Amino acid sequence: MLFPELCDLFGDQANTELLLRALPDAEAVRTPLRARPAFLDRHIDLVYMGSTTERGQALAAAALAPLGPEIESRIDAGARFLATGNSLEIFGKYIDCGGGERIDGLGLFNVYARRDMAHRYNGLFLGKYGDIDIVGFKSRFSHLYDTETAPQAAGARDFLFDTVKGAGRRPGDSREGLRRANLMATYVLGPLLILNPLFTKKLLIDMGAPNAELPFERAAMASYEARLREFENPKTGFEY
Amino acid sequence: MKGAGVFLGRIRFILALLSGKLTRAALRALGRNASYLPGAVALRLCPDFLARADKPGRIIAVTGTNGKTTVCNLIIDLLARAGVRTLNNALGSNTAAGIASALLAGSGIMGRSKFQTAVFESDERSAKRLFPFIKPDHLVITNLFRDSIMRNAHPEYIAGIIESALPETTKLILNCDDLISSSLSPSSPRAYFGIERMPGDVTRCVNRINDIRLCPACDGELVYDHRRYHHIGRARCPECGFRSPEPDYTGADVDFGAMTMTARDADGEGVYELLSDSVFNVYNQLTAIAVMRELGYPHSRIREGFGAGVGILESRYSEERAGDVTVVMQMAKDRNALACSRAFDYVASRPGGKELILMMNNLHDSKNWSENVCWLYDCDFEFLNRDDITRIVATGPRARDYYYRLLLAGVPEERLRCSDSELSAPGLLELRRGESVYILYGTDAIELAELVRAETKHLAEVTAP
Repeated sequence: MLFPELCDLFGDQANTELLLRALPDAEAVRTPLRARPAFLDRHIDLVYMGSTTERGQALAAAALAPLGPEIESRIDAGARFLATGNSLEIFGKYIDCGGGERIDGLGLFNVYARRDMAHRYNGLFLGKYGDIDIVGFKSRFSHLYDTETAPQAAGARDFLFDTVKGAGRRPGDSREGLRRANLMATYVLGPLLILNPLFTKKLLIDMGAPNAELPFERAAMASYEARLREFENPKTGFEY
Repeated sequence: MKGAGVFLGRIRFILALLSGKLTRAALRALGRNASYLPGAVALRLCPDFLARADKPGRIIAVTGTNGKTTVCNLIIDLLARAGVRTLNNALGSNTAAGIASALLAGSGIMGRSKFQTAVFESDERSAKRLFPFIKPDHLVITNLFRDSIMRNAHPEYIAGIIESALPETTKLILNCDDLISSSLSPSSPRAYFGIERMPGDVTRCVNRINDIRLCPACDGELVYDHRRYHHIGRARCPECGFRSPEPDYTGADVDFGAMTMTARDADGEGVYELLSDSVFNVYNQLTAIAVMRELGYPHSRIREGFGAGVGILESRYSEERAGDVTVVMQMAKDRNALACSRAFDYVASRPGGKELILMMNNLHDSKNWSENVCWLYDCDFEFLNRDDITRIVATGPRARDYYYRLLLAGVPEERLRCSDSELSAPGLLELRRGESVYILYGTDAIELAELVRAETKHLAEVTAP
């Protein structure tokens, strides 16, 4: 877990808690802000980073910036990452904070985030990960845009979910999140893995634990299916 | 041209004043609550209405995440007991329109204020629309915690909004046990209140929410000398020496057995009877005491006020007997992980066997979209995993989410029940003799909670031997 003292808003910590319960023999490695991330020096099955404040983004980006090339090389070598909420913005080129202020990102994607503190976007999200339905919530001050200098190649799949309803990287964009090798990042915040047991089971398989059991899977599925029905209902409003 | 602008502004204000008063009169003639619309009309016609309106000579504003209504009402009641009539928005909205409505209600036909003192509860997000115009003499910030994800994002955001709206002359009354709010606007005049170390204080955070872990000065990791809950406590930074400020008004010798507390400051002290045995209400009471002391009232006078019946709003907590069961209504603000965690902590601390009905659903969300349930995983449901909590009924539109959350919190499945309908929930209780039923409900479900209470009481009475 990267910077758990900073990146733990909106119930995000429940994601790693769920994984640790499904994988009782797993070791939890918590990297605080001023420490060198463990995944740079040894194999880590999953690096998780959760939502943070705007100041937290600046601190996290500054902490990771000197490690950018190493991080990129680990990701391209297959290191598995999951980033939720606004932590995904750190993986882009930069965050435009408004007023001429800018936070440099890791530059792993040809995108940038534009922040507007006067307008908070709140919405539901219904999407697809392959044939798995994804449900979630979004709440943020920023959206993601392609950089002008290097737009995405037509058909390039550098996003995580296909949007069915709600906003993807920004309202009107059906691409949601970011994907590069085993790095997965999504604007869906909070307990993504709790809300999406099928996605979580797929993740566990990909992590090399096909027999891992989700705790209370029946209750998880009941909650998921009820929510999926609500989200699929055409009468359900999707923006707050 | 400038003169014309001033003239037009004045005309606009007069029009807004008259329209607001007419709206108010019309609503009252219809028997409706006139606590929002008159102000909204006035602001629509005259966007700087709050700046232009005549205001009482002394204004106390209360804001913060939790406790502002309670603190506001305590201050209003204490001042009333001291013979001071206050203009306030206790019965209405805490937004700009609500305060504008209060100013309309508290002024004569020509707009002159009929009051010398105002006590306004202020929504934190409305700070920019309020404070630069009403310029409070005192601004109380009860605390800053995580609140609605959708509206309030996170405490740093709210702190930024409040700080950017503060007039230079406003004196802040701040909780020194809350490093987020107490760090606001370092150049503003201020006084601090805080509670000294209590039995039961910890150093490590046992809550899921801990909103400030890094030093505000150097981003080093904070160390807590003692911690009450979440980030509330006294902290310091081993790297740069930063530490929590010292209180000007201290809550000392808090004794939940004797139900007393000593409130101490540089000019004296008083022993007060506690209004409630919950720590967050001790803070609320101490906050009110600090404000009254800032206004110059001696402890003896403030104690008299409490003794004359000043207390905590009934709508937030009440208990009554039904048959052999005690039925307790406990408001637990919906979509607010921290408020619910505090409610859970309180319920867990109560003696005896307990059954719970959890109905903190936001009914408005359930009608119009689907409630954002991320807050459930910031909330300390783990506090409910106790042997003396023998049954928990998860009910309402989010019943399955509560049920799953409770399982993940370690609550044995045999103690759990699930009901889509809140009104069916009491039928799933065991109603054991001598035990209590706690109904935890959200802010827009008061009427529904009353129906659930009535049904619970009915069942408790008919099953009594």
